Amino acid sequence: MWVWVQILISSLSLGSFYALVALGFSLILGITQAFNLAHGDLIILSGYLAFALWKFYQVPFFWTLPVCLLAMPLVLLPLQMLLRQVKEPYGLNTLVVTFGIALLLQNAMLVVFSADYRLIRPELPHYTFPELPLTFTLNQATLLVLSLAATGLVHLVLRRTFLGKALRATIEDREAAQLAGINVKQMGLVAFGLGGLLIGLAGPLYGQNMYLYPAAGTEATLIAIVITIFAGLGRSRGILLGGWLLGLAESVAALTLGIRWRELVSAAVLLILLYFKPEGISSAREG
Amino acid sequence: MAKPNFSSALVAAGALGLVVWPLIFREAPLYYQVMGMACLYGTLAVAWNVFALTGAISLGHAAFFGLGAYGSALLDHYWHWSPLLTIPLGALLGAAYGASWGLFFKRLRGVYLGLASLAALEIPKVIADNWESLTYGSLGMVGLSSLPTLELGQWQVTLGADLRAQYYLLLAVMVLVALIHKCGMQSRWGWALRAMRENETAAAIIGIKVNRSRAQALLLSSYLTGICGALYAHILGLIEPALVFNLHISALPLVMSIFGGRGRFYGPVLGAMVLYPLDQLVFQPWLPLGHAAIFGLVIVLTILFFPQGIAAWIPKARKYA
Repeated sequence: MWVWVQILISSLSLGSFYALVALGFSLILGITQAFNLAHGDLIILSGYLAFALWKFYQVPFFWTLPVCLLAMPLVLLPLQMLLRQVKEPYGLNTLVVTFGIALLLQNAMLVVFSADYRLIRPELPHYTFPELPLTFTLNQATLLVLSLAATGLVHLVLRRTFLGKALRATIEDREAAQLAGINVKQMGLVAFGLGGLLIGLAGPLYGQNMYLYPAAGTEATLIAIVITIFAGLGRSRGILLGGWLLGLAESVAALTLGIRWRELVSAAVLLILLYFKPEGISSAREG
Repeated sequence: MAKPNFSSALVAAGALGLVVWPLIFREAPLYYQVMGMACLYGTLAVAWNVFALTGAISLGHAAFFGLGAYGSALLDHYWHWSPLLTIPLGALLGAAYGASWGLFFKRLRGVYLGLASLAALEIPKVIADNWESLTYGSLGMVGLSSLPTLELGQWQVTLGADLRAQYYLLLAVMVLVALIHKCGMQSRWGWALRAMRENETAAAIIGIKVNRSRAQALLLSSYLTGICGALYAHILGLIEPALVFNLHISALPLVMSIFGGRGRFYGPVLGAMVLYPLDQLVFQPWLPLGHAAIFGLVIVLTILFFPQGIAAWIPKARKYA
């Protein structure tokens, strides 16, 4: 019985993190209609940046966060300018271009950081409840709180501000938004900026909870795609729900089938979703 | 009007060059090996392009490659059949997976087909990784038989050890597959595939059996990819899941095909002949770990600046695509 409570706790924190991973992807896709297959690799890049700061310059873990938050938008903005040059069919071409960028990043990280598995291991205590057979690490707590805070902030921006209204209008209907006087190009910049912030936050958290290795990004990208197709574009609450469900599915699979089948869950869920929703995300322009 | 023109003369000259150079340079094992692998990747690129004619961008062809490799390796390991049998039979495993794509991805197009193919690569990979009693898991299988020795009277060729003979074998396979590609592209079927790519509804209205043609293309493409994987397993003598179900194996044919030019039958081959030796002979010694970054860079530049590929720079009289 307690094992299920434990699973619920860990999938809640992991699932919130997955939502954070998917949110940036979904915003970028919704607003600029660019399929960013390098999304996961950029998260890994941010994770490596935090790892390098923590390991080689003895920067405390929490201070790596602002550095990554600043650095990743600076990486994402050139990417946005590059993707603007891509011609029709836009969706498919951005898919291929970002696939190339993912290859480039994976190999660059292989050169710089080698293929070893890395983990950011700050000295954080474990909490065990003496009367309950549960463990809750401070790592998990950080993951949960920061992911939820970021998702909540994006939700507030999208729902409560004028900028958010313009962003949602661009997702809903690009042409109509333009007719209403929204600068769609500027919204693209905002999307990549926000996406960069979210990637910047996700990287150190990834490095703290999962192993960093150069090819790890593909799985993170798959997770982002799965949740985005499940939830739709720019729907922060749906994305959070999708993240929790995926986290739960992964934990249950790891418990019942064995830890090594966990990798299959996101791929299998994606295939099942696509089988029943072949048009994918309805409001995105078909490539 | 099969009038010889500049383009076909150039292609013929290129093919002749590929046949003749090992006869001139008789002691160049490194170059035999690199060019042999370039031919293998050329075959792979052509096989990828057969499915891409329908407008699909597959990111999961490594699944067919790995399944072909595992199919052949398992037959070799458990029944000790000759590679001459296990390669064409083992590749059927790749084709079977291709058939299942045809069934399950029937309604997927464009971006979503690409995403589905990316996810579909994970399934055989995780299975090969975990079914340890059959595939030895992530340790992989070693000691596979090398390519056989052919004997004709007193004349014999050790395909397993003689790198030059291996090069000629792979060259022959590549030329054969490229010719299949050429015939396919010029046939009604090939035109039907490209008509579907341009406008599927219109193609269906003029009487093209859209689903059947696409499934045939996928089946042929996955079988040929499986052959490449099986050849690879026996050339190397070992396989492991991470080696064959690798995203790079998916990426290489895509990059070579698009860089070479998908509109001409020799485009994918041209891409492989330029990029693979460039990667292995120039970038690999310079950057031993991350040399494959070149493929990422090339595909970005190609899509941005010359999406028709380098084959489009070769002038020609008749247009096929």
